[in-house]
Amino acid sequence: MDTEMTPEQSLRLIQSMIGQAKRSFSRVSFYFLLWGVLLTLAMLATYFLRDQPGAVGQGAPWGAAGVLGGIISGVRGAREGRSAPVSNPMDGLIGWLWSSFIITMIITIVLSVTSGRDPGPMITLLTGIPTFMTGQVMRFRPLILGGIIFWVAGTAMHFTQDALTLTLLYCGAMLLGYIIPGLMLKRQEDAVRTT
Amino acid sequence: MPFAPLDPLLHNQLRLAVVSLLVNVESADFTWLLEKTGATRGNLSVQLSKLKDAGYIKVKKTFKGSYPNTSCSLTAKGLKAFEGYVEAIKGYLEQ
Repeated sequence: MDTEMTPEQSLRLIQSMIGQAKRSFSRVSFYFLLWGVLLTLAMLATYFLRDQPGAVGQGAPWGAAGVLGGIISGVRGAREGRSAPVSNPMDGLIGWLWSSFIITMIITIVLSVTSGRDPGPMITLLTGIPTFMTGQVMRFRPLILGGIIFWVAGTAMHFTQDALTLTLLYCGAMLLGYIIPGLMLKRQEDAVRTT
Repeated sequence: MPFAPLDPLLHNQLRLAVVSLLVNVESADFTWLLEKTGATRGNLSVQLSKLKDAGYIKVKKTFKGSYPNTSCSLTAKGLKAFEGYVEAIKGYLEQ
């Protein structure tokens, strides 16, 4: 790879290398799959335990999912950060975006619960922002559509109190917004890794 | 109109590939550059040294866990040289 080049060859080489560098995002599919599954299970548990009194029927499944997901994500993120072969500025942007979402989500949950409101619709709406933006930054259409699905589901959830409808809307949004895009992204990441 | 001279340091496939890769990242490990360029270890080392000596890249030697690691990043001088090279190439193509 050290021969002389024509201007056309130079330009093609530059375009090819810049394209490769732009596609060098960290492997994020794991997080979408992890959180998609955990939050879907938490919502299903909340639905089936809705008649249980106290914490078991209220926030326990969400707390368990949050703690478990937080620990797994934290450990994996720290390990991947140390071993990442390339530092991409867009990775940092995506990381800060999700961090700001988590802070906003925690504040929203605390404010909603203390004022007796269901935080579900607002959290679902907010989830659309980082999902949509991650899709745009990575130029990955399934995540862009996922973000839009969260906005639609969050809006629909605002207009119903029915537990089954809320559960179906939330789980459907998780499936279409996190789990399916996560699986598609994983396939793409695996393909890049093997080439 | 005379052609703008092409930077001889960048007008080489491997060195140009390395600089083009580094333009869009903050830093990249030697192994990642090796994988993306498909070069041999020896050739990549030689070309990185030339880019480093010209002040186009910074090379940092650290440890990742218990293994030595070499990471490279583009300097402001390297970015300016790359932009100049791209402009010169455009000039050739527009003729």
